[in-house]
Amino acid sequence: MLGTILAATTGDVTKAGKAIGLALGVGLGALGAGIGIGNIFGSMIQSVARQPELRGELTGIQWLGFALTEAVVFYGLLGSILAYVLV
Amino acid sequence: MRRLLVALSTIALLLPANAFARGEFDPTTEFEQHEWIPIHLGPLNLSITKAVAYLMISTVVTIAFGLVFMRGRPGRKYGRRETIGELVYDVAQQQVAEQGLPHKAIGRWFPYVATLMLFIFVVNFLGFIPLPLTGETWHGFPVWGIYAATSSISVTLALALLTFFFTHIEGIRWNGPVRYFKSWIPDAPKPLLGLIVPLEILGQFMRLISLSVRLFANMLAGHILILTFIGLIFILQSLVLAVVVIPVAAVFYLFEVVIVIGIQAFIFAALSAIYIGSAIEPEH
Repeated sequence: MLGTILAATTGDVTKAGKAIGLALGVGLGALGAGIGIGNIFGSMIQSVARQPELRGELTGIQWLGFALTEAVVFYGLLGSILAYVLV
Repeated sequence: MRRLLVALSTIALLLPANAFARGEFDPTTEFEQHEWIPIHLGPLNLSITKAVAYLMISTVVTIAFGLVFMRGRPGRKYGRRETIGELVYDVAQQQVAEQGLPHKAIGRWFPYVATLMLFIFVVNFLGFIPLPLTGETWHGFPVWGIYAATSSISVTLALALLTFFFTHIEGIRWNGPVRYFKSWIPDAPKPLLGLIVPLEILGQFMRLISLSVRLFANMLAGHILILTFIGLIFILQSLVLAVVVIPVAAVFYLFEVVIVIGIQAFIFAALSAIYIGSAIEPEH
């Protein structure tokens, strides 16, 4: 099956590989960050539900954690773009 | 009013600079730097480029912000202006400075982290206001476009280098060189130290990379996302697509403006405060 597809492939295979690599890199990075960000906001909701008076103090920590986690996608994106451009 | 603003900014976003010139739309060309006023001092290239122009505007806006919102006038009634100024000051003091800096260093380093927060916020914010600074013309009119100076790695790396040097200068100044560099060596069994100490030193430089790349990649990705969605109309050559892509681009635009730019400014300042604070009090 795969062999027939590969045999039928014409055109620039390198380019296709690069595009797949870029998409996979960003996608897997986003997967991890998505789980992490979900965890952070989930814990925040739980914490505030238990102790609403701590909301002010927790907000700062929450955004710090959010930005640190979110940056992971961009490391993936940057690495993928570098690979796309350089390779 | 708000709906009108959204509609206006959407219309302004409809005019990406390169889209009319080329059949193929490449969003990365938006981030190229062309030397508008070349200034070369030996090996140094101090030319005025798009990013430099944006930085200059941002500096003026930041100073104006301080003068308008934070300057108390004797005899003037306390109004909305002062409330906005105090809100920003409160965030800078309570969320940024007091979280990271030890009490004895707040007086000296609060101005730095507060400036950092305000300046990065203004640079990011200007990046989402269409300005006629793309350096291209369409039938003689300057083309309007969005570009943020912080989506250039040079800008964010310069800001991160400031924090990096201040961190170590302050660490040495408060603790003395011997005690400061000794604080990098953690309590661990002797054989493991050969492994941990290089990692610790590497970690200091990783801070530099993570601080600069976080801001840079966030702004770059935000702009590329918006430009790509609008650019789909020109890449696929169909105007019907506008019904789908423009609302999507508007949603991403609002997400960036409302959430991302403020968070990134806050994070950069908060992490700078934490790094400087942890150098001043290493045992902390």
